[in-house]
Amino acid sequence: MDMNAYLSMFIDESNDHLQSLNENLLKLESSPDDISIVQIIFRSAHTLKGMSATMGFEDLAALTHEMENVLDLVRNNKLKMDEFIFDTLFKGLDALDAMVQDVVGGGTGKADVSAIVTNLKAIVNPDYKAQGAPKGQTEASPEKSGGEAAAEIELDQFQISVLKQSIETGHQVFHIQVTVQETCVLKAVRAYMVFELLEQSGEVVKSEPSVQDIEQEKFDRSFSVYLITQQSAEDLKARIENISEIESAQVTVMDEESIAMLSKPSRPEAAAVKPEAQKEKAEVKPAAGAPAAAGGGAAVTKTIRVDIDRLDVLMNLFSELLIDRVRLEQLASEIKRGDLTETVEHMARVSGDLQNIVLKLRMVPVESVFNRFPRMVRDLAKTLDKKIDLVISGADTELDRTVIDEIGDPLVHLLRNSLDHGIESVERRVEAGKPETGTVNLRAFHSGNNVFIEIEDDGAGINRERVLSIAVKNGVITAEQGAGMTDEEVYMLLFAPGFSTADKISDISGRGVGLDVVKSKINSLGGAVSVKSQLGKGTIFSIQLPLTLSIISAMLIKLGSEKYAIPLSSIMETSIVRRDQVHHIHGNSMIEFRGAIIPVVSLSKLLESPDFDELTENETEVVIIRKGEKWAAVMVDEFIGQSDIVLKPLGKYLSNTAVVSGATILGDGQVALIIDPNALIK
Amino acid sequence: MGEELKVIVFGLASEYYGVEVDKVRTIERMMPITRVPKTPAFIKGVINLRGVVIPVIDLRGRFDMEQAEATENSRVIIVAVNDIEVGFIVDSANDVIDIDSDAIDSPPEVIGGIRAKYLRGVAKLNDGRLLVMLNLAEVLNKEEIVQIEQFED
Repeated sequence: MDMNAYLSMFIDESNDHLQSLNENLLKLESSPDDISIVQIIFRSAHTLKGMSATMGFEDLAALTHEMENVLDLVRNNKLKMDEFIFDTLFKGLDALDAMVQDVVGGGTGKADVSAIVTNLKAIVNPDYKAQGAPKGQTEASPEKSGGEAAAEIELDQFQISVLKQSIETGHQVFHIQVTVQETCVLKAVRAYMVFELLEQSGEVVKSEPSVQDIEQEKFDRSFSVYLITQQSAEDLKARIENISEIESAQVTVMDEESIAMLSKPSRPEAAAVKPEAQKEKAEVKPAAGAPAAAGGGAAVTKTIRVDIDRLDVLMNLFSELLIDRVRLEQLASEIKRGDLTETVEHMARVSGDLQNIVLKLRMVPVESVFNRFPRMVRDLAKTLDKKIDLVISGADTELDRTVIDEIGDPLVHLLRNSLDHGIESVERRVEAGKPETGTVNLRAFHSGNNVFIEIEDDGAGINRERVLSIAVKNGVITAEQGAGMTDEEVYMLLFAPGFSTADKISDISGRGVGLDVVKSKINSLGGAVSVKSQLGKGTIFSIQLPLTLSIISAMLIKLGSEKYAIPLSSIMETSIVRRDQVHHIHGNSMIEFRGAIIPVVSLSKLLESPDFDELTENETEVVIIRKGEKWAAVMVDEFIGQSDIVLKPLGKYLSNTAVVSGATILGDGQVALIIDPNALIK
Repeated sequence: MGEELKVIVFGLASEYYGVEVDKVRTIERMMPITRVPKTPAFIKGVINLRGVVIPVIDLRGRFDMEQAEATENSRVIIVAVNDIEVGFIVDSANDVIDIDSDAIDSPPEVIGGIRAKYLRGVAKLNDGRLLVMLNLAEVLNKEEIVQIEQFED
């Protein structure tokens, strides 16, 4: 089999599984008793192991296998998670990640993981007294489970009482163990047939593994059920074994005594049921947690991966379709034939829906970048010996795929910087009267035509004098320049090349290259970085990013024969002003608006409009726009209306045009320019 | 015998110019152009080329030639060089020919008022016509545009 065809699939899926392992391990760390999380982790690890083995990455499979052993003990309540286990598992994940990355880079995915494997084995050892054979688990556990068994029983009280009552009312209770043939391909189907038969003849009280797992073929070769029925054991056995590919069905009659014993499996008389009972015991807790796990599983939507170029093509083809649609609508209104009009209207509706979908395809939630940070912050906090909480909000904020791909590294830099330089050590925080645990807020939100990502820490803040003295010392600025700088300008020095505020160079940040790189990267994405800080209170790094290709709501306006779009997000309202309402102060046109005097901007002058001049009008439509605290009234010729538009770049040749931030294609196929409201307010 | 080049021939004023066929994406009839304010005069604006917004340059303007009204024969040649896609407005575009790269001589200092650095060379065709080969990378040089803008300011 040619594995190359599956390699990219393997890589994608491995990355997904590693991510989910990371996330869930972190979750587990905060609530170590939640076995349902262990179940999810176990499943991911198991899938990963299977995939790696299939693809022939033996080292990957071997390490995953060891991790799986540990997890197996944990989910069966034979091992309690502790810090050492977490650290070892995390290290294992890192090693797995490194191997997968090696595979990505065309390597063989081989790595020396013996240290981690030894640790993992050591974890498994103390509680795992059996001889290493898989069956050993069930046999090894009784002596340990003796103490726990009283508290945890394989059937819950309700189920036991049902069984007891059934016997009292003259029904029979069987424990049936069904084994499918080794050669059986569709185990789940056979199991289903068995279940169907059982349900016809009686009531299944409990199955091991759970019915869900059996349906998903998550069992080895055998499964067992407790069945209440009126039929005889022999009859049942014969009928089950009659189903093809079923190797054997072992039917054990249960009486009241043996049912009572289910709750005390450590008693020697219970030997007959013990192996199953032990298994069952392991199953009880997960079953309780199963709804949560199943719920979690359902939330994960199914996806396919698509080459982003194809989306671009799709998008462009769709815009063409749109143009034809408008043309068709025109023709239909001219021809005035009922069925034609109806068809065109229907097509318009369908293409409207299609448009929405096509436009949203490229947008990805920032979550895909954010989700690796909790793990990073955890590790860093440990390394730095600080206590840090990372609070993420707005992870569902959507950004264009291309921006998502690029934004990861700058964010890592800024986060590291906040952890290393921002948040103080525990002692210093206590001294300063702050809570021991520092908080770093990572926020993403839409604002206007931009997405903002903010990293806010409640650390020491930026010391203006220190920044200045270092900048002067490192030759970034002269002392005279520094004296006249505003606080914001001083903070921006952090992003200057060759600047480092760390007293000692750590491997986390502070080589003085990091922030410099951050700024140039973000600038290259068409974004901007800004810093706000309060000494002793904390610092906010704010990244402003454009939505390179996204849908924005805009107000379409006319200037003579030309059409322009103004992003709705920065429009406060629209209004009409009369000539005599415009005041001239110091050569600037101003109007009174809501008790404030705001400047009037002539769009026609700014854009050198060839055929419109508001001076010829007595009354002019104005759009009131806002940038932060500043307002301005923009004079336009005519409002066309509000519409969702696709933002398109003007092309590389015109990459930095003033006033215009991009273009869009209108329904009639014409290009309309999008005005950058920020450029209108000085 | 040098390399064989496929060249698209277009007319501008009285001259014939050529660009390599592999740099040309498509040739379009004139279509509505949206003016982009605050750009050099030779940038006519942007067009919608099947869903992609592409800037359009008036080559006459770029080479400081006399302006002319668009005619039936006017065409927009869409070229792609170094990731930059631009449309050229030309008077006509009508031919694809093969020329031998050896037949291209280095350009004399001035041809029809176009500075030599925009030119790759001059090829003599079999019918005696002269074909001016453009150096697209220079024609689309952005630094020079910035200079022009500053000059205009």
